[in-house]
Amino acid sequence: METDELIINMGPVHPSTHGVLRFKLRMDGEIIKECTPVLGYLHRGTEKLGEMKTYLQFIPYTDRLDYISAMPNNYAFVKAVEELAGIEVPLRAEYIRVITMELNRVVNHLVSIGSLLMDLGAATMIMWGFRERENALQLYEMLCGARMTFNYIKPGGVREDIPEGFIPKLNEFIKDMEKRIEDYEQLINTNEIFMMRMKNIGVISAEDAINYGMTGPTLRGSGVNYDLRKVEPYSIYRDIDFKVCVRRECDSYARYMVRIDEMKECLYILRQVVDTMPEAKIVSNPKYGIAPMTGAPSAVMPYFPRIFTPPAGEVYSRIEAPKGELGFYVVSDGTTKPYRVKIRSPSFCNLTAIPGMVVGLKIPDLIAAFGTIDVVLGDVDR
Amino acid sequence: MIANAYELIVYILTLFRVYEPLLNVFQALGAEYVLRIIIVLVEIAVLFVFVLLTVMFLTWMERKVVAMVQSRYGPMVTGPRGLLQPVMDGVKLIGKEDIIPAKADRWIFTLAPFIVFIPALLVFIPLPFGESLIISDLRVGLLYIIAISAISPIAILLAGWASNNKYSLMGAMRAVAQDISYTIPLALAAIAVVLLTGSLSMVDIVNAQGGAWFGVIPQWFIFIQPLGFILFLIASIAEMGRIPFDFQESESELVAGFFTEYSGMKFAMFFLAEYAHLFAVSGIVVTLFLGGWTGPVLPFIPVQITSLVYFLIKTYAVIFFAMWLRDTVPRVRIDQLLNLGWKIMVPLALLNLLVTGFLVTAGVMV
Amino acid sequence: MNPAEELKQKLPSAVVSIGIQVNKPMAVIKKEELLNAAQKVKEMGFDHLSVITGIDYMDHFEVVYNFFSYAKKQNLALKVITDHEDPEVDSLTSLWKGADWLERETYDLVGIKFIGHPNLVRILLPDGWIGHPLRKDYDMDTEQFVTIGEGGEDIVSTDGSNLLRRK
Repeated sequence: METDELIINMGPVHPSTHGVLRFKLRMDGEIIKECTPVLGYLHRGTEKLGEMKTYLQFIPYTDRLDYISAMPNNYAFVKAVEELAGIEVPLRAEYIRVITMELNRVVNHLVSIGSLLMDLGAATMIMWGFRERENALQLYEMLCGARMTFNYIKPGGVREDIPEGFIPKLNEFIKDMEKRIEDYEQLINTNEIFMMRMKNIGVISAEDAINYGMTGPTLRGSGVNYDLRKVEPYSIYRDIDFKVCVRRECDSYARYMVRIDEMKECLYILRQVVDTMPEAKIVSNPKYGIAPMTGAPSAVMPYFPRIFTPPAGEVYSRIEAPKGELGFYVVSDGTTKPYRVKIRSPSFCNLTAIPGMVVGLKIPDLIAAFGTIDVVLGDVDR
Repeated sequence: MIANAYELIVYILTLFRVYEPLLNVFQALGAEYVLRIIIVLVEIAVLFVFVLLTVMFLTWMERKVVAMVQSRYGPMVTGPRGLLQPVMDGVKLIGKEDIIPAKADRWIFTLAPFIVFIPALLVFIPLPFGESLIISDLRVGLLYIIAISAISPIAILLAGWASNNKYSLMGAMRAVAQDISYTIPLALAAIAVVLLTGSLSMVDIVNAQGGAWFGVIPQWFIFIQPLGFILFLIASIAEMGRIPFDFQESESELVAGFFTEYSGMKFAMFFLAEYAHLFAVSGIVVTLFLGGWTGPVLPFIPVQITSLVYFLIKTYAVIFFAMWLRDTVPRVRIDQLLNLGWKIMVPLALLNLLVTGFLVTAGVMV
Repeated sequence: MNPAEELKQKLPSAVVSIGIQVNKPMAVIKKEELLNAAQKVKEMGFDHLSVITGIDYMDHFEVVYNFFSYAKKQNLALKVITDHEDPEVDSLTSLWKGADWLERETYDLVGIKFIGHPNLVRILLPDGWIGHPLRKDYDMDTEQFVTIGEGGEDIVSTDGSNLLRRK
């Protein structure tokens, strides 16, 4: 039987494209024949902005890339600059950075799983996820006054030391989260409908995933044991005991399970870091000078120079962000502004695989697969 | 014995000694039928108001139940515990601009919400809310209900087609496929009940469940027909189009399915129909399997009132179950849904019917 | 021996020079030999193409490829230098599917043409955008207005004539 094909524009305004992504779908009835993502609706020229701002001015812009988990973005850029300029970071600052980043990983996975479940039609999970996320955001608020866009990590340290009462609250959060994750697992993991929707959907083999340049939980869901925190340990990850969560099923369910496992692993890391945190309250490189530890709150804040000139050179520095490998390629010409900033965003590269993954599936499968890829459009379009 | 709501009204009027004089007046005018029509109109008005109030309450209840599951408060600002929120929603919807897309089929687009809404009301006619609280005890009540419910997919198809929107059309197609494949197990499960009672009348079905085994366990058909009950419940949730089977809307896939393009009062009509349908189907589940309005008779209180209370308690229990389910499970996929319908539910319903028929013929049941 | 040296040993004709990019070995490749070198790099086990960066140095362009090997856990960067007038390099889409979008992005923002790319169109900016923003000579003062036409295509203008409110 000869039937006409249907072109559907899913997005840029659609409930489950997580922002302003547009899928151009060529459909045969309910079956997807071809899927072309159309990007750029949120393009803000961050890389161009990078060339026009000084190194320190650019840090807040990195917050706006992946706004769900902004702290790793901060860190990835700062790490590139630190590698470029060869800046030593005090140990306590590294501990604080790891706390913030692992906390952010939990937040990111909560949002990711929540929105995935919402796209599948179960709205409860996102509310539960946001309930816990709120606690984490309050921790961030204590830490740096901001809830989502932090501008907290600076070259040579962090903006200020952790406030009093932060650690007990963090411990409370960890204890609470451990119980909550059990709740999520009970609600979702073995739900028959959920498994029907997720198993063998959006399958991508390990070879393909590598070839497409997928990273992060999406790659680990395809059975590749790869985590930059283990492979190229940065910060203090070398001293931390944790395992890389890998699943071999290669489907959407595996990617979901990797995220759940990773959240547990994050809590384990957080416990360790909190327990072994150095006492000395030095959170910035002495090269920049440290403010006295007593007196008005503003005096406690470490001093960071407004202008900062790393030597000329170029560096590519990657970290394991919650969504995958986040890299900054920074070229310095020895002035106060970077000559070129290239952002290798995990969302952008992971999204590459979507067209190949969903051909022959149906729209609901596209949504399930897309939800497990975990994309933030601020990160894709930059 | 008062058979239906008409006779109940007459009885109440007689009790207050106004029926005779009224009848005399109309008889003197030679227009007795006018009085009958007036009484019927009163019945319909009461039913209409009741359904509208129920629907408003249900929207509030849905939001509260969802909020409860998701550890939120839900509406809290308008009225005590947000009870007046549905009123505000209604006002908002009436105040909205009524948009008809430029390339839509204007007539059908306007007509479709009404075609959806009217069957949702008509379903209530043979539904017994309590002892003698029934508009009309049709002898083919169950058949009537199934037939009337079958109108709504047509209206949904009209709405989806007339919107001239791809999402609407896909939603409508899904709705039709779903309705067709789930009306069959629904009807088959209901027929098994009919075999037990030997009557399609809803009142007969309720009365057949009136007794109790050993004086304690009520003789509800859920105990005789557990498989039938499960099939009927699943099929009716599918027919209501609620999660996990809400394909006509499937918000995250098709934006809002067949009513993507609707706004204002037309949207409200779909909304009302959806919740009226939810109430009606829950009432039917209660009538067929949960003993309808039967329950312990209390002294000094008219049986009409106690039976209405029993009916409402049971119905709201079923509604609560549907809402609870909605918050717990994700949506299945359309092809999985059709598989489930045709490959599992229809054969099971046929098996259930076969076994029931055999046992009834053998005289074990009844 | 680091991978850059290994590559120089295997393909002496293609590698112009080798060096260190902060802590990652880097090899500068002749433009014509890029595809060969990439093929060799892939055979050496560098299966992860992390990023493609195009840099405008006013008088020339540099295209930098950062690779990683999952098996050996090593990094390698390849650099290709092109002239400024007509920047063209070979596309690596035949070797890495992930190169598709990365190359499109580089084309879009820096304006480097990738020969052999199956679908080299703009990815982030709308079709018809004037200029490549990450070039140093990009005109930052001219505003550009984008609307969507009847057929879904992007319409770009510099005077806003395509905007509804100007009608």
